Amino acid sequence: MSIATGALRNLQDVARDPRSWWQRSKGNIELWANLIVIGWALVFMLWRGGGFAITVGSVFAIWAILAVSLNLVVGYTGLLSVGHIGFFGVGAYAMAVLSSNASYEQLRTEAIPTFGWPFFAALPFSVILAGLVALVVGVAFNRFRDDIYVLVSFGFAVIAFTTFLSWRNLTRGAFGIHEIARPAIGPLVFEGELEFLALLLVFLGLVVLIAWLIVTSSFGRVLTAIREDEEGIQVFGYHTTHYKLAIWVISAMMAGLAGALLASWSTFIDPNSFVLLESVLLVSIVILGGLASIWGSLLGALAFVMLEEGMRFVPFLPSEFIGQIRQVILGILLVLLMLFRPQGLVGRFKL
Amino acid sequence: MSLAQLRDVSLVNFLKIREQQSRLLAVGLTAAIVGYIGWKIVQSPDQALQFAFNGLAVGAVYALLAMGFTLVYSTVWFFDLYYGAAAAIGAYGVFYLRSHDVLGGQYAVNSGPVNVLFAVVTAGVAAWALQVLLYRRLHTRLQPKTLLIVGGLLATAFGIYTGLVLANPANLHVLLSPLVAALVAGVAIWALNRAHLRFALQTNQGPFAAMVAVAIALGVLVAIFVASTPGLGLYLSWFVACLLSGTVSLALYRGLYVTMRERANSPLIMLVASLGILLAITAFITIVFRAAPRPLPDTFGSEPWTIGGATIKGFNVFAIGLALAGFGVLLFVVKKTAFGKAVRAIGDDEEVAKVVGINTTVVIAVVFFIGAVYAALAGLVSGHDTAIQPRMGLLLLLKGWIASVVGGIGSLYGAIVGGFALGMLEQFGIWDLAGEWRDVISFIVLIVFLSFWPQGLLPRK
Repeated sequence: MSIATGALRNLQDVARDPRSWWQRSKGNIELWANLIVIGWALVFMLWRGGGFAITVGSVFAIWAILAVSLNLVVGYTGLLSVGHIGFFGVGAYAMAVLSSNASYEQLRTEAIPTFGWPFFAALPFSVILAGLVALVVGVAFNRFRDDIYVLVSFGFAVIAFTTFLSWRNLTRGAFGIHEIARPAIGPLVFEGELEFLALLLVFLGLVVLIAWLIVTSSFGRVLTAIREDEEGIQVFGYHTTHYKLAIWVISAMMAGLAGALLASWSTFIDPNSFVLLESVLLVSIVILGGLASIWGSLLGALAFVMLEEGMRFVPFLPSEFIGQIRQVILGILLVLLMLFRPQGLVGRFKL
Repeated sequence: MSLAQLRDVSLVNFLKIREQQSRLLAVGLTAAIVGYIGWKIVQSPDQALQFAFNGLAVGAVYALLAMGFTLVYSTVWFFDLYYGAAAAIGAYGVFYLRSHDVLGGQYAVNSGPVNVLFAVVTAGVAAWALQVLLYRRLHTRLQPKTLLIVGGLLATAFGIYTGLVLANPANLHVLLSPLVAALVAGVAIWALNRAHLRFALQTNQGPFAAMVAVAIALGVLVAIFVASTPGLGLYLSWFVACLLSGTVSLALYRGLYVTMRERANSPLIMLVASLGILLAITAFITIVFRAAPRPLPDTFGSEPWTIGGATIKGFNVFAIGLALAGFGVLLFVVKKTAFGKAVRAIGDDEEVAKVVGINTTVVIAVVFFIGAVYAALAGLVSGHDTAIQPRMGLLLLLKGWIASVVGGIGSLYGAIVGGFALGMLEQFGIWDLAGEWRDVISFIVLIVFLSFWPQGLLPRK
């Protein structure tokens, strides 16, 4: 709400007195970051037309759910977790295994069980499974802090990836799982891309709402206090380990949701979507967008998706290098941000 | 006894009980692991010997990584994730220089922009090194303008030399012979001078001139030998790859970390920035060399030897020797030289070190250089052992990090012990599993160590 009214007030200001508005908001990096990223996305979508907008919107929604969920842990609670892709993968594989129809030819050694559950039955299961994994991992990780936390969370991502790749009786290893069910409510099947986009946006709205409720509640204020001074808040009688565990599990469940949606959206997954580097990219999205700001995570995800899509239309760029060049740009952006703006584009918290 | 005191006593008791429980658990765990390994050894000694060899071979790589990592960390006290890219640059540097030799040259790579990039980086680093080494001594005697021109020319020459070496990998032995000769002569002069200072303090300068003559003669002989032996190309490429990795690390330190360390108020900022660098360099390597794994050429000792029912490659024995030698050199440098004293002083308190007149920027720069050379050695050894791929950097970084935590963070003895221990545990751990689970095992080792022995095996004193 506040964003909308703020934007409206800004517009009124521009209309009333452009010169003084320019003087006031020349150095307002947040405003320019917002304007440039959103303007860029809008122009691109108008230029490329509907199909492009639907694809970009779907990819954006999945990354945005992930980024918002990670921001709860990294930005609000101050635990720099690099292993979030693991929960994403757990959700995706739970959805894939449970709802794949598996009509393809199976090698005997790679035979996996088939369940054929519908989407909406598998979805809660995937989310809860991600939460359970997070509970176990969180109990083990709760005592660590700062740079050691980074190391062990790297470890979780590696363990998760190895499990997806090597537990062949369940995940078919490097072959991946095909024909994952599309969601259906009675006769209404989300077969088309537009319907699925609507579903994704509904879930994104739900996640943003939950995140917003969390960070504006007293629970969220305790999380912020843990970030600022953990011993300090312990003195007031808060069991910080419980709070950290709770937000860790909630965040992992959101990531699991994103994974389940990805599996159903692309109808095929393999371990390559869950490598360690993707996890690092996710962290860089969160930091780029802004720590401790939900809007920042949405903006970061949009910028990340538009960076890739935008580069597809640079004439002399070979298409196989786009992902790599995006990675180079993100890496350099990360360095520049740490140098000049450690809170990210629209963030509230300096690392 | 008041209520508050009572509560304090109960809290202390609670903590004590908790500590005892944790110690008990740790002892039980150790006993279980030792028992498991012992049972395995009794079951099939030959296989156990094989796994022990493999563990030592892998451990050599981890030990090299952990030594450099711990040296850098215990000096600047932040985790420099660029370190993984340094290992990847080491391995890919060797591939770049020998790609015409690998599998009939089907993956041959030699791109002009890369050569120019490295030439520019080297020129920049050389300019800075010249400024540090010579400017302060000469600016009272010579005009600033002359110094600037001469220094600029020298730095440019260094850059062009680097570009030439990179552009003509087939003639590496000829191109590098002067550099190797200069290095041999320099080391000879340094060693002789040290011996001279220690054993013959009273004598005049006569013997010193003789020593210089001997050293120069030695250098010329080495140069002639190197230039006439094309077979040395591979080993010279190791040398160049290590130097390149160190140069990039130095450039990053001087160009970026110095500024960042002044601004940053938390080690996490440095960690995230170095993560960005790691991302960028990994992607750059992928663009130049593609994502698919590549082999490195055969070395001496690629033939397996059989020792008591187990086989080991001669190259692995060499790698273990290299790790031990690297440990010896590092120990000597840190414990016995003035430079090492400065490194330890900076590690203890950088501000105080600055106050007592240590040029901390230069010392830390050299530390970064040495660290990157160790990483590059580890990267190329592991590359020769298996294969290289762009994302190897991140994985090697994590292994070095784990090994240094297992050994005791910031401790040099801990680094080598932790490296070999991690290698052994990993290999014995995959005895009943498939080889792809080894990364999982090493992270489980890490979490167990952090939970029960957060200080590591041999903690820093």
